[in-house]
Amino acid sequence: MVQNMEINVSFLTDSEQEFILEVLRRDEDLRHLEDLRVKKLKAEFLDIRRKGAKRGSGKYSERSCGRCQEPLSLLSGSGSQCRSCKHQVCKKCQSVRPNGSWVCTVCAKEIDLKMSTGDWFFDERVNRFSSAPGHDLVRVSLRKRPLSKKHETAGEILLNKVELNTSQAAPVPKPRLKDIALANKSSLLEGEEGQQSDTESIEKASLDSDHAETKFSHSTPQMQRKEELRANSPEDCAVSILMSTVNSDSTATIETASLIHHMNACSDSLRDVDGLFKKSVRRVHKLSEIKPASTLDLREDASENTTPSMGDRSKSVPGLNADDDEEEEDIDNLVNIHRQKFGSSMGSLGGSRTTLGSMMSVYSEAGDYDHVEVSGEIVFSLSYDEPSQSLSVMVHECKGLAYADPAKKKCNPYVKAYLLPDKSKKKTSIKHNNINPSFKETLKYSISRTQLMTRTLQLSVWHYDRFGHNAFLGEVEVLMDSYDIDSAHEECMALRGKAVPQSLLSPFDQYKGELVISLKYVTPNAPNAEDSKGKGKKSKPADGSELHVLIKEAKNLTALKAGGTCDSFVKGYLLPSKSKSSSKKKTPVVKKTKSPNYNHTFVYNNLSLDELKDMCLELTVWDRETLSSNDFLGGVRLSLGAVTVKEGKEEWMADSTGEEILLWKKMMQYPDSWAEGTLPLRSSMGKGK
Amino acid sequence: MRTGVVFYGLTHIRNKSKNTPGFSSSSTMTDGDYDYLIKLLALGDSGVGKTTFLYRYTDNKFNPKFITTVGIDFREKRVVYTTNSPNGTTGKTFKVHLQLWDTAGQERFRSLTTAFFRDAMGFLLMFDLTSQQSFLNVRNWMSQLQANAYCENPDIVLVGNKADLADQREVQEKQAKELADKYGIPYFETSAATGSEVDKAVVTLLDLVMKRMEQCVEKPSADANTSDGSSKLSAAPAQQKKCAC
Repeated sequence: MVQNMEINVSFLTDSEQEFILEVLRRDEDLRHLEDLRVKKLKAEFLDIRRKGAKRGSGKYSERSCGRCQEPLSLLSGSGSQCRSCKHQVCKKCQSVRPNGSWVCTVCAKEIDLKMSTGDWFFDERVNRFSSAPGHDLVRVSLRKRPLSKKHETAGEILLNKVELNTSQAAPVPKPRLKDIALANKSSLLEGEEGQQSDTESIEKASLDSDHAETKFSHSTPQMQRKEELRANSPEDCAVSILMSTVNSDSTATIETASLIHHMNACSDSLRDVDGLFKKSVRRVHKLSEIKPASTLDLREDASENTTPSMGDRSKSVPGLNADDDEEEEDIDNLVNIHRQKFGSSMGSLGGSRTTLGSMMSVYSEAGDYDHVEVSGEIVFSLSYDEPSQSLSVMVHECKGLAYADPAKKKCNPYVKAYLLPDKSKKKTSIKHNNINPSFKETLKYSISRTQLMTRTLQLSVWHYDRFGHNAFLGEVEVLMDSYDIDSAHEECMALRGKAVPQSLLSPFDQYKGELVISLKYVTPNAPNAEDSKGKGKKSKPADGSELHVLIKEAKNLTALKAGGTCDSFVKGYLLPSKSKSSSKKKTPVVKKTKSPNYNHTFVYNNLSLDELKDMCLELTVWDRETLSSNDFLGGVRLSLGAVTVKEGKEEWMADSTGEEILLWKKMMQYPDSWAEGTLPLRSSMGKGK
Repeated sequence: MRTGVVFYGLTHIRNKSKNTPGFSSSSTMTDGDYDYLIKLLALGDSGVGKTTFLYRYTDNKFNPKFITTVGIDFREKRVVYTTNSPNGTTGKTFKVHLQLWDTAGQERFRSLTTAFFRDAMGFLLMFDLTSQQSFLNVRNWMSQLQANAYCENPDIVLVGNKADLADQREVQEKQAKELADKYGIPYFETSAATGSEVDKAVVTLLDLVMKRMEQCVEKPSADANTSDGSSKLSAAPAQQKKCAC
């Protein structure tokens, strides 16, 4: 990360400064060019990833390639599994890497992207410059510093500094870098007294890298100045900027507003503004190009329906809604139940046409499925009305449905529709005793066309039972991004069960955004270690060690709330643990943003590196719902991969992949230094046996 | 080394343009039509020929006049990089945009120049074959690099320049080679005046950086046995050419 950025330029003559400034501007041009190129590459990649993969919906044959979806030939067996995404892929969709191994084409693209964007370099660098021995200080600065700094170059910093000065001292034609260095120093003295004491104590340690770290903090007031200049009215600039932060960012800043006279708080939030601004240059484009923020409220009928399925969460949490903690535990329970259910039914089932909970619905829908043989088909048509921005789903009929109760030949079917991942549903009326029901009903969704492209239409057929136990009769899913909505022709699709061979399912198929975290294993202090030796066997060698998990930010979360935002928080479990609650940690909720900055650290105590080898860190992102249960937005599972975790009597295999394994490894490999990573969020946290 | 780097078309690079202050510096090379942006940096004592070396490389010209570099500067060049696939056949070709940072060797610019070390992916550590002192200082530059570069063992090529001035030579090839071997880095004797070995030195460095890049992204299968959590960062000597990831 940014190291010694208090570059002393006061010794330069005016003409030298001018010369260097010119060089820096040329560098800026090149950087600009590079930014555009990187932006384009990332957008292209997202497109490829969205299109060229099986989703969590599972309507794919087990014997088809995970990428091109061509059937796998009988000769080549079941195809081969990509080591990175775990898809079974055919020969054509394998891409040989220079080291002789191979991954599937999409994973190969991702690797290539890391190289061509230069991200490999920035990732390496981040890990170096956050590893200074004075880890407490580093932690503080890591927390405060926005991630966008990761890509910042010395030239950029210097240029910003100089140009800032130019505009500030308007009457003076030539910028004097000396002035700004002085200005920085003086504002530091006025404003950052709190930090100063930190600085001093560390400076006493007189470690080179420490020095560098603290020195960087000197340059922060300068950003503030920059903002002031933009605001064009020096007196109330701080107020106006804070206000804009409040609007756009989070409620956390409202608290800061009351501390407005404290320079410290001020510069912090300003730094956030700066961070947001910077990020919009390099990061935000990822999804924003595909999914503009102009979203309409899809949830208008969320309360209108009572649900026929027993497991609906909002029903199972009566009266608990106000209490945050209990409410969440309830979700955990549901998830647990579902895990068990999923795990056990996986084992007992061979046939792919029998019904059971799909991986995808592990969090999104805790439904209850009977084992009904699925048969028949559904006929429907879709149309999009531009003026009213609405999707019409015309459900025509179903043919040849299975009997929910074959003995009594009972079948009272109705059709339920979801525009996943949104969980509000629409239903048709119920037809009685008819396995070939004709519905001719239109279900309407208000949604912008761009937003619609990110959704999956799920139509499921259910048998209505007067006594409450509705039975699942089959479903179909339509990926809206690959559907020609304007063709308006009638679709006839065979109903499928929910069984999905696990090997074909990657929880990463759906893009759910990313989570940026830093991990650090803090070894016990030297004196402590001696202590434990002296006292003998009483204290474990791991005493005093800590695992720090810094939750920095999330990016491009799925917007579940009106206006295309969400109120998210992150929850962490370090597994296995004696009890769920003992290892549970949560960040505060960050409101109204799809790319929240949490900057919150979870600390786990007294763990040896040996123990960590068999442990697994689960971080899940949730959308806070005040009046119903929270919604799952995605998660990551960090471990060494394929580690067996014992949770009480239950045993499961941690399925960490790629970055998740790398980051965990890096943390263990380099104790006392931060390992930072940007992890793609899983769309489900289902566990295998 | 079977890697080949050739000139990429005639797209040539803007020269130092110090005569136009302000934002007028647009034009010439503004298309993003390249696959990789690779940033290299030349460092070494004042007067060893960093600027002329880079000028020779980018423009294939030689300027015998000594104009001391003010702080920092950079030059650009586009090349085509060809990889070799594992089975030995010629692999893919990529367009690489090289940003070659030139740094002032003078002590008074030191704080400024070292700040730019962290942005470079590879380094040309240069000394003057006709100056024993510049060679002795290689050691200091090396430690500067280890402290300030993006990682502790970045890719470096040792370059002894002014090989054409044979009669004034003070540093013997064997001596320099030994030092390079000690650090585990390649060594080249170049002449910016004649152009000898200049391309080769840069190409070698580019190749190292490209290899490093691949190592860094292909990690998952590469280091399966690194679960030994007790290993520490501190024990990473310069000779170790493994990727620290």
